Amino acid sequence: MQLFSCPFCGERDETEFTFCAEAGKTRPEPAAEVSADAWARYLHFDHNPKGATREVWLHATCGEFFLMERDTVSHAVSGSHSLRRPEA
Amino acid sequence: MRKTMRDRGLFWSPAPDWTTARIDGDAYSVRRVLGLGQALVSGDLDAALAELMPAAPEISLWSVAAAEPFAVRIGRDRTLLVSPGPLAAAPGWRNGYVATPCDDAYAILEISGVALREIVAEGTSVDINAGSRSAAVLFAGVTVLLYRIGPETARLHVEAPLAAYLWAWLEGRS
Repeated sequence: MQLFSCPFCGERDETEFTFCAEAGKTRPEPAAEVSADAWARYLHFDHNPKGATREVWLHATCGEFFLMERDTVSHAVSGSHSLRRPEA
Repeated sequence: MRKTMRDRGLFWSPAPDWTTARIDGDAYSVRRVLGLGQALVSGDLDAALAELMPAAPEISLWSVAAAEPFAVRIGRDRTLLVSPGPLAAAPGWRNGYVATPCDDAYAILEISGVALREIVAEGTSVDINAGSRSAAVLFAGVTVLLYRIGPETARLHVEAPLAAYLWAWLEGRS
């Protein structure tokens, strides 16, 4: 079992969390001009880095979306940040 | 009569008669609490509490609620108001928040006894001594709101359709 840290709740079991997306992906706009290829790349293609990465996760029990910095090799989590501005 | 469809009703845990259901296990007992008012609030929680439940304490994971009314914190923008009876909260957005009466949406199971901590340790891996602002936690695989109303009495608010499953889980450990 691994503990993840929710910016609102603190440390909780990994089973309470759901991966949402790699951070930094920008939805292509305007929608009417986005090609099928561009939309498919946005939906289905990730960088999937080996090592340090920044991802958006959901703490499902409290509903908090947040940014997690972790290492895909060691699984070590180096930070969790609220997506709110200013950070609450 | 020939069966043409599988009866999925037999798949689910049968619901007990909640008015009389009780589990008496080794050093603990469980009952369903009926009659309390509940309302989900989203948005500006300070404004909502000031209008709907002034001076009601906020209850977090494993903290002790002395008596209704109180607000069980779910998330950053969401709380569950618990009152002695149905809450007169009109549904809909106003003043930055929305209140949704949901008296029957959550079943409230109350666990009492010296075995309480042992049961909680079996149901969830959360460190109750570390505390947490949100009372929402995975318990026996389902999301519940977990807090206490006394040193050895805890309540679980679980979505009503999952109550029969959670009841069966609690019976199964007795």
